[in-house]
Order: sequence, then C-alpha cells, then structure tokens
Amino acid sequence: MRWLPVLLLAVSIAVQETSADRILVLGESVAVKDTHSNFLNSVKERGHELTVRAADDSQLALFKHGQPIFEHLFILAPGVQVFGGSLSPNEISKFVDAGGNVLVAAGSNIGDALRELAVEHGFEFDEAGTSVIDHHNYDKTLDSGDHTTIVVSKDQLINAELIVGNSAKLSPVIFKGVGLIPGKTNNLALNIVKASGTAYSFDPNAARATNPALAGSRMLLIGGLQSRNNARIVLSGSVDFFSNAFFAAKTNSANPSVKPGPSGNGELAAAIVQWVMKESGVLRVKSVSHHKNGEMVPPAEDYFITEDVVYTIEIEELKNGKWVPFQGKDVQLEFVRIDPFVRVTLKNNNGKLTAAFKLPDVLGVFKFLVDYRRVGYTHLYDVQQVSVRPLWHTQYERFIRSAYPYYASSFSMMAGLVLFSIVYLYHKDSPVKGVKVLDSEKKKN
Amino acid sequence: MTSTASSRSSRVGATTLLTIVILALAWFVGFASRLFAIVRFESIIHEFDPWFNYRATHHMVQHGFYKFLNWFDERAWYPLGRIVGGTVYPGLMVTSGLIHWILDSLNFHVHIREVCVFLAPTFSGLTAIATYFLTKELWSPGAGLFAACFIAISPGYTSRSVAGSYDNEGIAIFALQFTYFLWVKSLKTGSIMWASMCALSYFYMVSAWGGYVFIINLIPLHALALIIMGRYSSRLFVSYTSFYCLATILSMQVPFVGFQPVRTSEHMPAFGVFGILQIVALMHYARNRITRQQFMTLFVGGLTILGGLAIVVYFALVWGGYVAPFSGRFYSLWDTGYAKIHIPIIASVSEHQPTTWVSFFFDLHITAAVFPVGLWYCIKQVNDERVFIILYAVSAVYFAGVMVRLMLTLTPAVCVLAGIGFSYTFEKYLKDEETKERASSTASNAKDEKLYDKAAKSVKSKNTSDGEEAQVSSNVRTIIAIILVIFLLMFVVHATYVTSNAYSHPSVVLQSSTQNGDRIIMDDFREAYHWLRENTPEDARVMSWWDYGYQIAGMANRTTLVDNNTWNNSHIALVGKAMSSNESAAYEIMTELDVDYILVIFGGVIGYSGDDINKFLWMVRIAQGEHPKDIREENYFTASGEYSTGAGASETMLNCLMYKMSYYRFGETRVGYNHQNGYDRTRGYEIGKKDITLEYIEEAYTTENWLVRIYKRKKLPNRPVVKETTIPIKGKKVSQGKNKKGVIRSAKA
Repeated sequence: MRWLPVLLLAVSIAVQETSADRILVLGESVAVKDTHSNFLNSVKERGHELTVRAADDSQLALFKHGQPIFEHLFILAPGVQVFGGSLSPNEISKFVDAGGNVLVAAGSNIGDALRELAVEHGFEFDEAGTSVIDHHNYDKTLDSGDHTTIVVSKDQLINAELIVGNSAKLSPVIFKGVGLIPGKTNNLALNIVKASGTAYSFDPNAARATNPALAGSRMLLIGGLQSRNNARIVLSGSVDFFSNAFFAAKTNSANPSVKPGPSGNGELAAAIVQWVMKESGVLRVKSVSHHKNGEMVPPAEDYFITEDVVYTIEIEELKNGKWVPFQGKDVQLEFVRIDPFVRVTLKNNNGKLTAAFKLPDVLGVFKFLVDYRRVGYTHLYDVQQVSVRPLWHTQYERFIRSAYPYYASSFSMMAGLVLFSIVYLYHKDSPVKGVKVLDSEKKKN
Repeated sequence: MTSTASSRSSRVGATTLLTIVILALAWFVGFASRLFAIVRFESIIHEFDPWFNYRATHHMVQHGFYKFLNWFDERAWYPLGRIVGGTVYPGLMVTSGLIHWILDSLNFHVHIREVCVFLAPTFSGLTAIATYFLTKELWSPGAGLFAACFIAISPGYTSRSVAGSYDNEGIAIFALQFTYFLWVKSLKTGSIMWASMCALSYFYMVSAWGGYVFIINLIPLHALALIIMGRYSSRLFVSYTSFYCLATILSMQVPFVGFQPVRTSEHMPAFGVFGILQIVALMHYARNRITRQQFMTLFVGGLTILGGLAIVVYFALVWGGYVAPFSGRFYSLWDTGYAKIHIPIIASVSEHQPTTWVSFFFDLHITAAVFPVGLWYCIKQVNDERVFIILYAVSAVYFAGVMVRLMLTLTPAVCVLAGIGFSYTFEKYLKDEETKERASSTASNAKDEKLYDKAAKSVKSKNTSDGEEAQVSSNVRTIIAIILVIFLLMFVVHATYVTSNAYSHPSVVLQSSTQNGDRIIMDDFREAYHWLRENTPEDARVMSWWDYGYQIAGMANRTTLVDNNTWNNSHIALVGKAMSSNESAAYEIMTELDVDYILVIFGGVIGYSGDDINKFLWMVRIAQGEHPKDIREENYFTASGEYSTGAGASETMLNCLMYKMSYYRFGETRVGYNHQNGYDRTRGYEIGKKDITLEYIEEAYTTENWLVRIYKRKKLPNRPVVKETTIPIKGKKVSQGKNKKGVIRSAKA
C-alpha cells in the first residue's frame, strides 16, 4: 500500500516517456475546439493525444476497468451543473488520487459541479453570476463597461519559473471570469495568479456592491495544487483566459503604469499547462546509496557510532520529455532520529548528490532523509533506515594510557604479596612475639 | 566400642538418608505443584517480562553468547533502540542456555522454550536445598528440613516461580539463599575459602537479579551490628573483607552493573563498613600494645576526625557527581508516597504498591504466624549468625510492607524462622521421656555433636537446667503436637489452593467459566499478536502502552516504541501524551515516531479490569510529568473530580485518543440483554459519548472479545478538501449514474 503512489508515479513516468499522453478535453460544446484552438493545438503539437468532448456527453468516463484511461483532464466548460456519463466531482477526485492531472477553467456562469470539484481540492469558487471586478485595472478596449475584463500584471504571478515560465519577460495578461480562494486548511495551495488589491468579486449587474465575499489580493484568479501523490490541479477562474480571442488580444490597461501591448496569455497558458501536465518540475530519485567512507557497499549489519559515512543520491529531472541529471544546489540531507542529528547540503556533481559526514555519537535507529519540497517541483522524498549501534566489547581500546598507574599498582601488589608471603612464612619471630601470636591463634580456635 | 560405633554410624546413615529423601521430596513437590499452569493451559511463557527473557534467551542460543552480549535491539524502543547486553541481568539467559547446551550435548534435544518454562520450578528445589543448608547453619538440621519444605511450597515464592514464569526472581531466590548460607558459613569458620565461595555465589546473584542490592546492604549491616554488639572477631574481619573485595570486583564484571558498586550511594554502606572494620581491627590490634590513655586519645580523637572526614568526602563526591545520589527507587522504599509524586512510572506498577495485610496471610499462611516465634528463639539464644537472620527478617518484613513485590524476599526469611519455630517446638514436645537421657548423653558425648552446632548444645543444657520441660504434661504435649501438625497440613492445603487458583494463570490467556462451570478460554491476546504477525509489514511499528511492549516483540515480532524495560521515561511520556491528546495532536506525535499501528487493551466487553482505560490515569500522569503544558491531569476528571468515562466525563477525556480507540463502535454494541447500548462492563456504567468518529486513524482489527483493538495510522489525505465552505453551494448533489446526460447552465443564466 505504501508503495502505491511511487508505483503510480513510476507508471505515469513510464507512460510519459514512451508514448504521448492522453488528454480528455471537456467543453460546454465541442465548439471549444475552435474557440480555444490555439491553446489546444499548442498541446497537440507537443505530441499529445486530445479527445474533445462536450461536458454533458452521456458517454464520458475517466476509468475503464478501474484503470484511468486518460493522463490528464482539461475542463474548459464553466457552466457544468452535472457532468455527463459516469463523470462527477467525486469521480474526478478519484482520478486525481490515481495520479491524474486536472486543469479547470471556469467563468462567471460557473456550474455547481465545478464548485464542488474545487471544494474537493481545497478551493472555493465564488457563486455563479459573480465576476472579478477591478475598476483600476480593467482593459479599456476589450471591456464592455462593467470592468470585468481585467489586465493582470506580472507581479501578481507566483514566483516560480516552473509554473508560470519566465515572468520577468511576460507581458500583462487578460482575465475575465470568477474569483476563487484557497480553503483555510489548505496548506498545499499555490497562488498562481493573485487578484490585485483593488479587485473584488461581485455580480457586475448589481446596482451596488455590498460586502463582496471575495476581495483584494486574498482572492485568486488562478489557483494550483499539487496533491500528496504529486498529481497536479490548476483551477482558473476564466475560461476565456485560454481562448483564441485573448491569446491574440492586445492589452490596454486602465492603469497608466501598465504599458499597452500584445497579451501574454499564450505564454502563460503554455507554461501553466506544461506544469499541470507534469512536463516541467518533475524530479525522481534514480538511485540511493550509503556506505562507510572508503568502502563501496553498505555494512552487512549496522553502522557503528562515530563512523564516517558517505551518502549519495542520484536525482533526475524531466526536461523536454527526457530524464536529465538534476542541477539543484539546495538539496539537503538529514540524519534523523526523531530530531535531525546531522543536516548537510548535498554537493551536486551533475545529478549525483553526495555528502560525507561523521555519524553522531548516539545509538539508535536513524533515517537518511531527503525531503525536497520546492514550489513547482514534485515532492522528492527518500528515506533509508539504518541502525547505528555501539561498539562491540572487543572494539574498545585494550590498553589506555591513563590506566597505566593502575596496571602498575596491581602488578606491584601481586609482587608485594608474594614477597610478603615469603617473609611471613620463612621468617622466625623473636620468641616473645611468637607467644603472642600463638595466643591469638588459640583464641580464634 | 565397636557396637556403639556401628550403631552410631548407622544412625548417622539413617539421618543422612532421611535428610536426602526429605529434600528430594521437597524438590519434587515444589516442582510438581508449580505445573498447574501447564496442565491447565499449555507450556507457554507467562506475563510480560518473561517474554523478553525468553526472546533474549532465544537470541542467545541462536547467535551465541558474545552476539547476545553485544546485541543492539533495533526493534525495541524505536527509534532509540536498546543495547540489550548492557541493560540486562544475563544470569537467567546464561543459566537456561547452559542447561540447554548440556541437554543438547547429552543428545536430549529440547526446544529452548521448554527449558525456559521449566527453569523456575527446577530452581525451586535448589532453593529448598539452599534454605536447608542456611537453616542448618543457623539452628539445626531438623529446622533446616522444615524450612526447606516450607520454601518449596510457600505461595509467596511460588507466585514468582510457577512453570512459564520465566523471570529473574525464579533463579535469584536460590542465589540469594545460597549466598546467605555461604556468608553464614564463612562467618562461622572465618575461612577465606568460604568467603570466596560466598563472593562467587554473590556474583551469580548479581548477574541474575537487581535485588542483589539487598545482599550487599544486608551483609554489611550484619557486620556493623556485630561490631556494635561487641561481637567483633577476626573471623568477621577475614570473611567480610575478603567477601567485600572479591564481591565488588566480581559484580563489576556484569555489564549492566558496571561501575555502580563504586559510584552509587546504594553500594556505599558496604564500603563504609569495610572501612570501619579496618579501624576496629586496628583498634583490637593496638589495644594490647599501648596504654589505655593513649588508646583513648588515639581512637576517640582519630575516629571523630575520620568519621567527619568520611562524611565530608562522601558529600563532596556526591556533589561533584562522582558518586550518584540515592535513586528514586531507593527513596520510594522509605516514603511510600514519594514515587507517586516524583516517579509515577514506578508507582504505576501494581507490584510496587504497598502490601495489604491480607496478602501477608495469603502468601505465607501459618508461617507468617510462626515466624515471630522463630525470631524470638533466635533473639533469646542469639549468636553471631543468628544476628544475621534477625536483621534479615526485620528488614525484609519492612520492605515487604512497602512493596507487594518484595514479599518475595521476605518469604525465605519467614520460612527459615518458621522452620526454626516449628523445629524447636517439636523438639520440645515430641521428645518426652527420652529427653533427659539424651541430655545426659549429649553432655558425655560432647565431642560427637558435630552435627549440631554449639548454640543448640547450650540451649539444651540451659533448658534442662531450667527444668521447664518437666512442667508440661504428656497430654498437653500430644495435643499441642497434633495441633501443630494440623496447622502444617492446613498450610499444605492452602499453599496448593493458592498456587492452583491465584498464581497459575499465564495472563496471556484468560479463563472464565460459564454458569454451568464450563471453562471458557479467551485467547484474545495471542489472536491479536498473531494478526499483527501475519498482516502487517515486517518493519511495522506498533505503539502501545509499555506493558505490552515485550509481548508484542515476543509474540508478534514487530517493532515497539516502549516496553517493560522502562528505562526512558521521556519516551514513555511521549507515548502517554499521544494516548491522552486529541486525535490531531496525537497524529503529530505518531508521525514523528513513525507509528504504523496502535494497540489498545479494552476490557469493557468482558469486564477485564486490567485494561488501558483503567491504566489511563497513569499515562496522563506520566505524560504530565514531561509535558505539563499540554497535559493536565485535572482536565480528565469529571466536574465532581472523579475519574470516569461515563456521563459527565470531561470534554478532554471524551476527545482523547485512548477514549476514542477504546470505545470506537462500542456505542453500537450491547453487552447483555438487560444493558443499554454502550454499557461498559468493567466500569459498570454507560459510556459518555457513543458516536465516535475517527479522522486520523482507522480500525484495523478487533479481537473476538474486543480485548485487543488495533488501529492503523492513516496517511495524510491526498487532497486538502474544504470542510467548512465560506461560500455555500446551493444546488443539491446529483447521484451518480452511468450514461446519464449532463446539465450545463446556459451562459445567460
């Protein structure tokens, strides 16, 4: 059971390496093929196999005989109230638990199915009919007057190149849709795109906005999640964000500090979809070894205290469909027995990370632990359990210098006793004392 | 001449034969009466500690002595591990390993388990013989035979030495008695040889049981008492000094003891007496050689300075950390409340509770009543060695009163003194007409009386001169003798009854009976351990309260966090904290400790009172000792300050892991027709909260009678599902169906 996630990961990796990924794309209708063709084609061009269906198609299924038949699921259908076929928010959660990745794009007409799906993954979309409104950052040309088409600048993006690409070079992007927030207890949430401080979420047709449920930079426009089995989910409040129209649009922000120009939607969407499809930010452990310094294999039984050990872990990263040596320099190794006794940064030599250290003078069951969590990367976790035992009774120093006086004393004592016995036995006392000795001898008897 | 010599030799021969036969019978009876558990159940190791001893012995037999000595057990005290070789008294394992080896080389191939099971009953016979010799040295061979018979069946000793009770005490009582015999012998003879033998026997005792501290304090106490009583002799000097030096060096060879004999306060009195003895010897030597005036100044002045200096040096050493101060266990012997406040882990063991009066009678029966008589005789006719048994009896009575467990050290003393009491009385009342003749003959044949010691001789002459015996009529004598014999018979009946009913339960297997008297065997413990063995990964870590650590390791062969070797209080406190915290806090601790399974004992269904809920308060106390900020004992009481899991139990109590694990799903069950759901038979009331849901753990296994419940720690959820939505979803969930058409909200909605 404990190897299942690893196994699944291995399976998914194997699949990635050998063949194209199968992706199920759900639109409100099959017309999504045309409205989002740029986005979908960019995925197809990388060699993946897309199956486009309407979200209410009665033949939809993610599993066949208990096995997932797709690697990824893109939901570009904001208005889904009820999925067709055997699909449901629960089914999609199962898909995620089985290692599938999901991209969800919602909109102002968001249906309950998507909101439930978000709740299942630690996020909440705002109610149907609401939109993210920003009176300071709306797009002057595209907006219809209710300030719901907003321009997002690059400083609202998460600081993780693996997810959003090179954000420094990114042009502002256009967003139109519903807001979302991460759940209070969701500590795996990734705030991929935050709303600006002046944004809020409300029904744009309402006369006056009172007490909006979501407001400010607490609100997210695009949220992400990497579940504990390393499946990835991205929830976008805007399906238009991925549309051909927005890809081709030019931004013209109401905010004078943002310069007008071509929108960055295409690049950002490409980066996000690569991340969600696990084409970037995937690490794996190729091999782990540990042994005593100067030896090649781990000891037959246990390590002894204060021995010098060498630990080596080979980590690989998936880049452009190939496993290449990982170049990160900040991987740490901990030697743990409840608390870490040793913590060292591993030296990276082209994907081979090594550390040499002295075992603590503490016995017990220890773990070589590499627990590498970085935003954007899959969770790299490797545990090697070893026992550190005290010395054998024969391994201590036989003669220690500070004991020489005692050795001397015991030998001199022995010699003294022999001498004393000789003197005592063969020495004749003077007669007066002899009588006394005899007296005491008599008393004793 | 020749005829008298031959008759005498034949009488000696008859006496020897009788002695041997009686001792052999005592051995046999002692052995046989300890087999109830095997006859009723099976050849199985009992209780808790014996499981470890068995596991260790097994390891030793399999891997050899040196591997055992250096055994680092990574399956105990995870993740700390335990150096078994250095934390165990190896005498028991070595003894049974040796027996196993001898049997093996004689081509009797028996499993080591059988050796372990039958070791304690076998040693009970050796104890009887050692007791015979000790009593013979103290009083007379007749008293020795009585004492041997008493100790062979005395329930106080049987309780720790039934077949299957494979524990240190089983062989340690033999070593104790034998050491005392050799000490008395060496004191009487003043020979270095006997003193060395005594030291060797002491070494065996040290290797077998931590109770050796009793010897190394009692013998110096005896020596000191003799000095104070003015009974100093060169025999005492020779025997004590040679014993002390050899014994200290030998005891330091046991890895577990190590430097304790020179570094702890418990061993310091022996050293102090050693010093005093040197001074006294010097004093005796000097007395005849210098004038009285010089003597007085030298010794009064010298002694004061030396005594003062010794005390100052002792405290300086303690303060400097060179000598460890007295341990908590030691203090708890003087102040029975000490342990409860300062070291709850000691107080939590039922064996460490003060003894009730009933258990004195229960364990000793008539011997408890007769031993003061023997003690009185010894005091009346005191000599060097009888001072020893007096001190032994008085101190053992005190310690037995403090701790139930130390009843064990009292029993031999009681048997010896009761033997003396009975023997003396019978000697008086059974030998009627002959006595006077005998008295005169003993006087004439004084030099033949080597069988009897000097004291007995003087007793007799004293008695005859007092003419006490003449005052008792023969009828009274007969009646008294008959009454005494009836007492003895009742003792045998009582001992058999107690052995059979109270001390022959393996406690691994429970037994109860139906109304018809049929026996029901409840094998829940082994069922659970077997389940663990078969259904969990090899390296699974099982968390339970420490009582069950040895059994889990021994029977289930799984890694445990804490066990009956309670060496690390903070680790136990951590487990106690996990048990008494709420689920999420407990989960953090369990993750830290890599716990996979949690095992609790729950007796609510069958009314087993030794379950974890009844022990729970100790877990809380021990946890509070280490984590006073997180765990507070008073939070677990009801508003009226009672300890209860029923109605009125506090919120903390109802939400703690132990309560949840014990009573999970219990609210749905009904233990009897006339009881409500969730009626707890052990506590005798309905539980406080019946709808228990588990979030971080799940039930893995519950045995037939719910006695053992095993839970599995869940992994963290894969996705952080939002439990309390801030923006409610109004639409109702649509049930799942195949091939249904979906619904899409129109864009203009």
